[in-house]
Amino acid sequence: MRFTISLQRLWPILLLLPWCFASAAHAANCEGADPEALAWLDKMGAGIHQHSYHGVVTLQRRENMHVMQVSHLVNQGVSSERMTQLTGQGARVDRSAHPLECVHPGHRLLQVGKDLQAGNCGIASQYRFVVNGKERVAGRAAVRLQIVPRDMYRYGYRIALDRETGLLLKAETYGHGDKVLEKFQYANLSYEDAPRGSAEVETVHQAEHPHPDHSAITAPVSKPWAVNWLPRGFAATDASAGVSGRRSYTDGLAVFSVFLEEFEHEIRPGEGVVREGATTAYTRGMSVEGEPVLITVIGEVPVNTARMVADSIDWMP
Amino acid sequence: MSENLRESLSALMDDEANELEVQRLLARGGEDEPLRQTWVRYNLARDALKGSTIGLPQVDISHHVRTAIEAGEHAGGARVGLRERLLRPVASFAVAASVAATVIIGGQQLAQVDNPAGFAGDNALATSASPVGMLNSLGATPIQASFGTQSVPVLLPATRTAYQELARQRMGRYMQEHAQHAALNSPQGLIPFARVPEIRE
Repeated sequence: MRFTISLQRLWPILLLLPWCFASAAHAANCEGADPEALAWLDKMGAGIHQHSYHGVVTLQRRENMHVMQVSHLVNQGVSSERMTQLTGQGARVDRSAHPLECVHPGHRLLQVGKDLQAGNCGIASQYRFVVNGKERVAGRAAVRLQIVPRDMYRYGYRIALDRETGLLLKAETYGHGDKVLEKFQYANLSYEDAPRGSAEVETVHQAEHPHPDHSAITAPVSKPWAVNWLPRGFAATDASAGVSGRRSYTDGLAVFSVFLEEFEHEIRPGEGVVREGATTAYTRGMSVEGEPVLITVIGEVPVNTARMVADSIDWMP
Repeated sequence: MSENLRESLSALMDDEANELEVQRLLARGGEDEPLRQTWVRYNLARDALKGSTIGLPQVDISHHVRTAIEAGEHAGGARVGLRERLLRPVASFAVAASVAATVIIGGQQLAQVDNPAGFAGDNALATSASPVGMLNSLGATPIQASFGTQSVPVLLPATRTAYQELARQRMGRYMQEHAQHAALNSPQGLIPFARVPEIRE
């Protein structure tokens, strides 16, 4: 009994405690951030579409190693990108004539310099960035950055950036317990204009500029819906809203997409998850206000995040 | 439920909660019904993902446990001898253990309501470990092993496999569209397309 009373007296103090910690931590977030690391991040964000280069990239996911040829050409205010798979399916993805002034939300979030000038911490509120020595990747001198998430809704990264251009040369995605989920790395790289590779390809995909109104695969749903919870710092990648069957969100480093399908008949509620490298595909069958739906969250985020996002979906009034 | 509590709860589920968060959750869990419901739901979801059997989702056992332990403590009566004082810790442990065991049986029986065939093996095992005799001898409130025929969203093994298969199919179907957005909004250029199981034209 005495215990209960003392707890009641303590409540006002206990309620205030998280608030005190939160504001102290918030102020420290920016102050505690490593300015050198943020400068490197900013350089990477600003330079994403500024350089012409080509090279060979490896992507390691568990025991599978994918090898790709990539090229990025900048000419007269537009960039053209190409990725050719040298292993596996042997497909090619082209994205041509992407205007340089078109900066998507994810790349905008990486340009943390603007946020800091405006007095915001920006992406530094979501991750802690630390310069962590140097190394050599694909023959280039590189600076190593350790990127530690500040909450458990996203993964951490260890990246290496070209000292000269800020290009991302290597990235390891790691999850809970420092477990490496995926590793991306240039094997060779050249900044000279080069003839495009002549690898044999089976499939060519022309990557378009995504348009919120026409989705390639997703059918529109019958009424508007909304995702009511997002981890802090995630913003929509495009204007997709209302009855579109897809929404995508990014915090600058991680991206996830939410897909909603309607069913005419009741489905047995349940959930399933498949993980490949850093990618989580989480599918949940449930009923939202009496209407059966299948929700799929796909992205480079932990299962817990995907589940909480799916949990928060509702029809819009 | 506040964002703070939700975060703390998630942290606890991931085994990453700090001491303060654990204390806050335990303190609030007593009175905050939505918090407790969310807690139960998260645990169910996690169990389902891990592939273990789900039982008892609608039944809040906490107050049964409390009642049982209180009853066990009162059972000693007014005269507390040395012998009883020495035995008390052992006795309450036994009550707690038997409550836990009963709950397991209850869960199995509930599961059977929805699925007469599926859990036959598990059920046989649980019955053989029944501690009902011990429970009564200590004077604790006997707890019904079945809480009625409330419908329980038990995930049958078949459904679990089906949902995992569904998740794999959906990954195949949606990955390319996700990669389009990932490629424009993460710093790795077109590399997100390398994660697509099969690239379509």
